[in-house]
Amino acid sequence: MNSSTPSSSAGGPGSADSTGPRRNSKRPKYSRFTQQELPACKPILTPKWVISTFLLISFIFIPIGLASLFASRDVVEIVHGYETDCIPEGSRSDKVGFIQSSLDKTCNRTLRVPKEMKQPIYVYYELDNFYQNHRRYVRSRSDHQLRSPKSERNIGDCGPEDATSNRMPIVPCGLIAWSLFNDTYGFTRNNQQLNINKRDISWKSDRDRKFGRNVYPRNFQNGTLIGGGRLNSSIPLSEQEDLIVWMRTAALPTFRKLYGKIEVDLQAGEIINVTLQNNYNTYSFKGKKKLVLSTTSWLGGKNSFLGVAYLTIGGMSFFLAMVFVVIYLITPRQLGDPSYLSWNRNPGGH
Amino acid sequence: MAGWRGSKLGGGGGGGGGENLSPTAERHSSTRTVRLGKVQPQAPGHRTVFCNDRDANALAKYKGNSVSTTKYDVFTFLPKGLFEQFRRVANLYFLMISILSCTPISPVNPITNVLPLTLVLLVSLVKEAWEDWKRFQNDMSINNSSIEVLQDRNWVSIPWKKLQVGDIVKVKQDGFFPADILFLASTNPDGVCYVETANLDGETNLKIRKAFEKTWDYVTPEKVSEFNGEVQCEQPNNSLYTFTGNLIINKQTLPLSPNQLLLRGCSLRNTEYIVGTVIFTGHETKVMMNSMKIPSKRSSLEKKLDKLILALFSILFCMCFLGAIGSGVFINPRYYYLRFDQSEKQFDPNNRFVVAVLTFFTLITLYSPIIPISLYVSVEMIKFIQSTQFINNDLHMYHAESNTPALARTSNLNEELGQVEYIFSDKTGTLTRNLMEFFKCSIGGEVYGTGVSEIEVGESQRTGSKIEVQKPSKVARDKGFNFDDARLMRGAWRNEPNPDSCKEFFRCLAICHTVLPEGEESPEKIRYQAASPDEAALVAAAKNFGFFFYRRSPTTICVRESHVEKMGKVQDVSYEILNVLEFNSTRKRQSVVCRYPDGRLVLYCKGADTVIYERLANGDNELKRTSREHLEQFGSAGLRTLCLAYRDLNSDVYENWNEKYVQAKSALRDREKKLDELLISVVRDDIVLCSLTLPYPKAQLVKLFQIAELIEKELILIGCTAIEDKLQEGVPACIETLSRAGIKIWVLTGDKMETAINIAYACKLINNSMKQFIISSETDAIREIEDKGDQVELARYMKEKMKHELRRCHEEAQQYLHSASGRKLALVIDGKCLMYALDPSLRVMLLNLSLNCSAVVCCRVSPLQKAQVTSLVKKGAKKITLSIGDGANDVSMIQAAHVGVGISGQEGMQAVMASDFAIAQFRFLTELLLVHGRWSYHRICKVVTYFFYKNLMFTLTQFWFTFETGFSGQRFYDDWFQSLYNVIFTALPVIIVGLFDKDVSSSLSKKYPELYKEGIKNAFFRWRVVATWAFFAIYQSLIFYYFVVSSSNRAMNSGGKMFGLWDVSTMAFTCVVVTVNLRLLMMSNTITRWHHISVGGSVLAWFLFVFIYSGVSLNREQENVYLVVFVLMSTPYFYLTLILVPIAALFCDFVYMGVQRWFFPYDYQIVQEIHRHEVDNSRIGLLEIGNNDLTPDEARSYAIMQLPGQKSKHTGFAFDSPGYESFFASQAGVYVPQKAWDVARRASMKTRPKTSSHKN
Repeated sequence: MNSSTPSSSAGGPGSADSTGPRRNSKRPKYSRFTQQELPACKPILTPKWVISTFLLISFIFIPIGLASLFASRDVVEIVHGYETDCIPEGSRSDKVGFIQSSLDKTCNRTLRVPKEMKQPIYVYYELDNFYQNHRRYVRSRSDHQLRSPKSERNIGDCGPEDATSNRMPIVPCGLIAWSLFNDTYGFTRNNQQLNINKRDISWKSDRDRKFGRNVYPRNFQNGTLIGGGRLNSSIPLSEQEDLIVWMRTAALPTFRKLYGKIEVDLQAGEIINVTLQNNYNTYSFKGKKKLVLSTTSWLGGKNSFLGVAYLTIGGMSFFLAMVFVVIYLITPRQLGDPSYLSWNRNPGGH
Repeated sequence: MAGWRGSKLGGGGGGGGGENLSPTAERHSSTRTVRLGKVQPQAPGHRTVFCNDRDANALAKYKGNSVSTTKYDVFTFLPKGLFEQFRRVANLYFLMISILSCTPISPVNPITNVLPLTLVLLVSLVKEAWEDWKRFQNDMSINNSSIEVLQDRNWVSIPWKKLQVGDIVKVKQDGFFPADILFLASTNPDGVCYVETANLDGETNLKIRKAFEKTWDYVTPEKVSEFNGEVQCEQPNNSLYTFTGNLIINKQTLPLSPNQLLLRGCSLRNTEYIVGTVIFTGHETKVMMNSMKIPSKRSSLEKKLDKLILALFSILFCMCFLGAIGSGVFINPRYYYLRFDQSEKQFDPNNRFVVAVLTFFTLITLYSPIIPISLYVSVEMIKFIQSTQFINNDLHMYHAESNTPALARTSNLNEELGQVEYIFSDKTGTLTRNLMEFFKCSIGGEVYGTGVSEIEVGESQRTGSKIEVQKPSKVARDKGFNFDDARLMRGAWRNEPNPDSCKEFFRCLAICHTVLPEGEESPEKIRYQAASPDEAALVAAAKNFGFFFYRRSPTTICVRESHVEKMGKVQDVSYEILNVLEFNSTRKRQSVVCRYPDGRLVLYCKGADTVIYERLANGDNELKRTSREHLEQFGSAGLRTLCLAYRDLNSDVYENWNEKYVQAKSALRDREKKLDELLISVVRDDIVLCSLTLPYPKAQLVKLFQIAELIEKELILIGCTAIEDKLQEGVPACIETLSRAGIKIWVLTGDKMETAINIAYACKLINNSMKQFIISSETDAIREIEDKGDQVELARYMKEKMKHELRRCHEEAQQYLHSASGRKLALVIDGKCLMYALDPSLRVMLLNLSLNCSAVVCCRVSPLQKAQVTSLVKKGAKKITLSIGDGANDVSMIQAAHVGVGISGQEGMQAVMASDFAIAQFRFLTELLLVHGRWSYHRICKVVTYFFYKNLMFTLTQFWFTFETGFSGQRFYDDWFQSLYNVIFTALPVIIVGLFDKDVSSSLSKKYPELYKEGIKNAFFRWRVVATWAFFAIYQSLIFYYFVVSSSNRAMNSGGKMFGLWDVSTMAFTCVVVTVNLRLLMMSNTITRWHHISVGGSVLAWFLFVFIYSGVSLNREQENVYLVVFVLMSTPYFYLTLILVPIAALFCDFVYMGVQRWFFPYDYQIVQEIHRHEVDNSRIGLLEIGNNDLTPDEARSYAIMQLPGQKSKHTGFAFDSPGYESFFASQAGVYVPQKAWDVARRASMKTRPKTSSHKN
């Protein structure tokens, strides 16, 4: 409290006759900021605004929705689940036992093309109940190691698939790589082999920047437990596109990954024979496996969600615009009607 | 040495020697100070100070005189500052989360939690450091101010901080005392000096201090260097009004009293310089030991915020609990690719319980953003800017006359200002200017004076009859004189029909008073020192009428009379004053018996109309009737009235009476000693201290009064005066506005009931249409019991009575409330009744009654009771309260209320020092509450709910994701996204809203005060509002999560490639950032450039960040989002989602806003619509109006006279300033605690030593 003492001795709160206040006026300086008078627009959400906003949304959204729907409709998709059918009848009671055995896993399936499919036709595998987004799984990789041979020993979070029993680092380490999907598909049409192009099935940035050109698989799948596919240790990681695809972990436990491309057109009604090696164990965790052949549009694969969502929002907007118009017509309220002020509605009511 | 404590302090006060301890010791009544008995030593032992001997004192190692009010120093800043920060639960929580996130349990990088915490701490610490730095600079300037100290027979100037205990210092006029100093000598002849204690207690009157005669000559350096006394005194303590000790000079012991102590913080006045020796230094001075830590108040909104945070905690807990159970269930070795085994406890399928527990902690770290860490710091920042930039700089709250801007002393309570429901106001100095102006008078049945009082102006405005307010003609007027009527001025009264009445009237004004003149004896220069401003006003009026009172000696009053014999003739007349019959609250009058130079004996009397009329001689009923009418007229105009009367005495009657009177008086004096002891026992108890009526020797006083009665009879009425207790400018209007805003105003005053009611009328708190409940202790029954003096009986009776009264009033109040009449209720209660009504058993009843009243006036209340009433409403009714006051007696009330407002710009500082906000004028409350408070409330509510929404929504998206990751606690967003979400991508816009959002302009806020009710009802931060936001948060999080994720297992471009986890999450995050920022724009009432910049900037910052962040390889182990954004942006899908998701998310909000606004509009929205086309330039325009004093203007006055005036049933009367009674009591020889006035009187006498012989 005595903070003010010396200053006031200089001419502060003495009696009124001592010092004139003019000498050091404490009048605050005017500025728009301090007086809170910044120029501002004051939008008021009037019915006019509400209705026109809704209309605007519907006018934009409905065309986009339609376009997306049409794009999605043009896509032809063949989905074929094979996890049960590719187990021999006799082994179906013990699927896990079968898949872990060294029996021949070859399986032949036939697909019928429902509509004409223009090339390129994308081949996907779809897994279900596979938690690629599990915390233990997602972190179990080393981007250092994938990119550069110098970081071979950079295997921080890769455990338990980080090194072999004699402490040699595994390249690529970690659970993701270890559990690489290893079913293979071969397609024949009229006994004629359909080539599967496995180039350019991964994002270019992954190939170029994340997986090294001079990083080669080492000690991969050498342990006692084999999680999945093996890698050709003479091919650098940047060219192992199956691995690259696999290692871009999926967001949901149900996911598709690109397997390859068929670069010929398929006609409606054609029968495609698929020869597949059913190697991958999804039976332990009761996961489904599906083979998917699909064309794409400008928007991507068959995906009606976006179109439907756009149409729904657009439609709802239009509907609500109409509803609001009707409501405003039925129960109009004059803009800025003072009788709506609470103290005018029930005068005297405290 | 035990002597000092044992020594009787009884005889130490006055000029008498210390040895004289006899009970009949002669003392000057006026120079004694209150001795509160033996002080309990606060610390064991005592200190011995060797004056003028640094070496001897060095042994004691007293503290230096430098003070430091800083919280930290260089070394303690970090540990102490951090400790302070972590005392906040939110910060502590985040510290724990940060520690957790460093363990392998954590799904997120520690940076996620450490970074925001660090930023928040940094901001807080910088603020702390800055504030402390300012304090430090302040300290430095104090410590370095210079003081003259005796060194080697010379005065040497040294800085304050170098001062040591025992030093001899010289303090010059108007200088501040650098430490607690023992007063040795002054340049004044009788060893006194005058001290202003405004900094200490707010009292502006000068106090007198007196040195021992033995030390009077130590004025020159030569002489004082011979001084080698030794002081033994108590240890430093915080009691301002006590001091005990002995001064030993030349083997002689002089007992010390507070009278010799000059306290740091006070300043020297009217004295060339004084010499003293330093007793207490630095932090050991009384003022420093007294410097109270103002208990930091927290706003109720903030307390509710705590509850909200608590709710968030429980949501967090539930989410984590669910997730933990899920993880326990999920964990299964069949997911062979996850390799669940014993190696990691958290993924050990054999011990599901441990898995669940560990996952619980994992999830806590994952969901930690649900508690908005930056909320507190943002809100603090917003409030800080609001208070320092907006409130402190508001030109509307700048008072030019006193050169005082508003000051927010704390930034904690801004939004509390928007929710105040009860205002407790002091009267004097707060509602009124404490400036009494002679305004009108009635002489011999004729009204003079053309002024129009504030209340009349207000009245005419209310009834709608517009009166042109003319600019004031700037006529220099005396303080206390606001009277204009040519019929009386400059001797013109001689031509009036009753010049003799006028003469008596003026003489009565000039003679019948207890005012002391000060300064030069010329009409221009003289200053009147009066116990109450009323008196000063009356004497000033006499001066202006040509009866200039210029000198008072104990037995005479000198008046310079003009125009008496004939026009223009001036003569000095000296009247002999024979008796002064003092004023007090029961007598309600004051008389002076004087002898004219020509031997005429006259008794002049002035007092309340009721008591004067009782004592008038018979006859002249016409005059009585018209005067009574005038009194009523004045009363209804809110003026304080006094009746003047005189009586010619013949000398036989007088002598006869005087004998009796003198006898009674001396009997009274004998009681003094006994009384002294009574006081000591009584004063310790606060409550009794406050009602000072108790310690009077009742019987003797009553006897004295009865004798006085004998001569105050058969009076002849001269006329009456009307004094305007000048309300502060704009008070009635302000009160009306505030009450329209739903705020209830209580006036708590130490004044008498009549005055309080008067003022309540004047400021429109009460009007005649209100049903008034008056609970008063001034009833005959009570007085009777009081006279018996049985306290127990009195207490019992009062309690019964209160119970009865309260019940009766309450029942009546219920009737009125339920009846259709809709009459408003008002309660008037006095302090004594309040004391009993505040008893725990009656408290509830009192509360119920008073809450039903729209106005409550408590009069005669003590400071403690003010606080009690305040906390009764605060705690009992759980309403937001605001106290406003200006004086030291309001401090307790100011501290008790939710918000304390001090009136600044006047001389006292005490109230301001205790307050949270200081404003110069009562009317600025409108601005403070209706504009700043309301805006703050709106803004803070918006900020808080928005924070709640954005963090809940953000965390919920994580939560939904958890369900699809096998409850592993995998994060959805990248670490950096998550950590920067709160501190960068969504931080700035919300602050902008917190600073700039205005629902309606300031002028509309004041034009529609009812808008304020939304704040009282807490309409914007109710659980319903929070629930609405929570609903939208849940809805939006579902949209974000499912809309973005739903198509993630479809090819995203014509190349047939798929998105991975990080692509999806980055897309979702982009949508979140865009939406959250758009949502903010949607909720803004005003959109300034800053909104655009901040909202645009935030979105831009996100894109900029993501380009850079995912564009460069940080060479980390896991570069999840490396190059992700380029992948995203190469697909059309991304853009379509970016349009779809925010609009879909905001769709619901928009519909809600549309429906709400149209069908259930808030009041402010209607007001916005009403004034939608107006440009907000109101404030500039308002600046021009304001400082026009209303001048008396004849035409206007006439117009008001013509108005159908309401006759008020009460008339006011003056004489009620606190301190008044004590003055007269001491004149009568009755001992009462020394009051400020007493000192001032002496101070004024000092200027002419020849007349200062104290009458005794």
